[in-house]
Amino acid sequence: MKHREAPTRIKGQAIRVSSALLIFAVIAVCALLSGCGNSNRIIIGTQTFSEPKIIANMYKLLIEDRTDMKVKVMPDLATSTVVLDALTNDDIQMASLYSGIILDNYFPIERTNDRASILRQAQEGFDKHYGLKWFDSYGFENTYAFTVRKELAEKEQLHQISDVKDKAQSMRLGVDTSWLERAGDGYADFQKVYGITFGKVYPMEVALVYNAIATNKMDIVVAYSTDARLKEYELVTLEDDKHFFPPYDASPVIRKEVLEAHPELQEVIDLLIGKLDAKTVIDLNYEVDVNKRNEKKVAEEYLKRIGLLK
Amino acid sequence: MELFFRYVRENWVDLLVFTGQHIMMVLIGLLLALVVGIPLGIMASRNRASARIILTVANIIQVFPSLALLVLLMVAFGLGTTTVVVGLFLYSLLPVIRNTYVGLTQVDKSTMEAGKGVGMSPLQIMLQVQLPLALPFMLTGIRIAAVIAIGVATIAPLVGGDGLGREIYSGINMNNSARLYAGAIPAAILALLADLALERLQNATRVAGR
Repeated sequence: MKHREAPTRIKGQAIRVSSALLIFAVIAVCALLSGCGNSNRIIIGTQTFSEPKIIANMYKLLIEDRTDMKVKVMPDLATSTVVLDALTNDDIQMASLYSGIILDNYFPIERTNDRASILRQAQEGFDKHYGLKWFDSYGFENTYAFTVRKELAEKEQLHQISDVKDKAQSMRLGVDTSWLERAGDGYADFQKVYGITFGKVYPMEVALVYNAIATNKMDIVVAYSTDARLKEYELVTLEDDKHFFPPYDASPVIRKEVLEAHPELQEVIDLLIGKLDAKTVIDLNYEVDVNKRNEKKVAEEYLKRIGLLK
Repeated sequence: MELFFRYVRENWVDLLVFTGQHIMMVLIGLLLALVVGIPLGIMASRNRASARIILTVANIIQVFPSLALLVLLMVAFGLGTTTVVVGLFLYSLLPVIRNTYVGLTQVDKSTMEAGKGVGMSPLQIMLQVQLPLALPFMLTGIRIAAVIAIGVATIAPLVGGDGLGREIYSGINMNNSARLYAGAIPAAILALLADLALERLQNATRVAGR
């Protein structure tokens, strides 16, 4: 008796379990598919670092607050090139990009370091060749910047790069290894344009320059202009008075057909245009990178503080 | 350590959502593998030639590095969760097929003869004799597949997928170890739980089947 009972019981169980699983699978697949095909939903892609992530979360909050659209943020796309590919393939519909990306030969451009011209060329080129609407800048750029300790800047009255010319011979420069050899905007061209040669040059990993200057091992370093460590270590960036570095102004970018289908987005996207200056972005990055907080929370707090979100 | 607790306290809702997404991806991938893999395993057990082809193909899929497989799939399916689910499905195939195959072929010939003797049709023998006896083996396959899938699912963000890997990658990219652990620890716990739960189920069927 026992022998006959056992297999039947298992079989009954197996059928019940497997049918439950099958129903679950069908529901899950439906949910998955309906999630993808929804035209009322957009995906904002971001690069791997903090500021595009924070901004993407700001737009998510603003768009969901002011329209009936749903937004998903897809973070950690390896590089700006990957982000651009994803936009072109319609894997994502919106992102933040930097105007200097056009220097990487996406379409023919006229070489210049003029901020307005680079931005305009990006707007026209990506509209024509990629079907993307490239907005005006948020109001900050993320580019290379010569950086000194605050106390040195105050003592020597340093405001722009040309100010260091007389002292350069006695200064120790810390730079990203690749910048030393770069053609176009590397050290060799820098020397030509500014006529400045530093006493000693120390190539290193770019992440190390911040600590090196903060601990007085360097006098001047080439850093990224919106890095949170500028605030952490109280560093001051010098104005690039000869416009040597190519401009990397950050702008929201969206697929044109999405904007046409949802004209209400225009107004929401405009809310951040010209509203985020370098200092604000450094502060926001500081919360995420130094205080180790989640970008969603940082974005929400900021929007509430400036009154864009209740 | 303090940073980790503060991070988890502030973001536990998101972490729960990521855990849910993680479980969903693994379950869907695994279920698809069962739906496809069990019939393939049955086919393989009935005929030597088909066994060789099916097992070889499944083996080839398995030895593909997970990262390479996902990136290849991304070319076909684009960025997103679909790519990850298909990858997990492919990865779960071999353990399911192989263990179904082994389970079915280890059933004693005499047991099947006995089934034939009492007048069972081949379908009845398969459903009422072979499959119940193969069940513990098949569960081994599912157990292996589940643990592998939970691990592989953590690289989902590389192809635009969701899940706990999100926190792991953000942690790496933004040099935030609190965040890395906030993703890695739940993923490890998930794998352990899945392993334990399936082990218990396996033991239960073994006892019942004896």
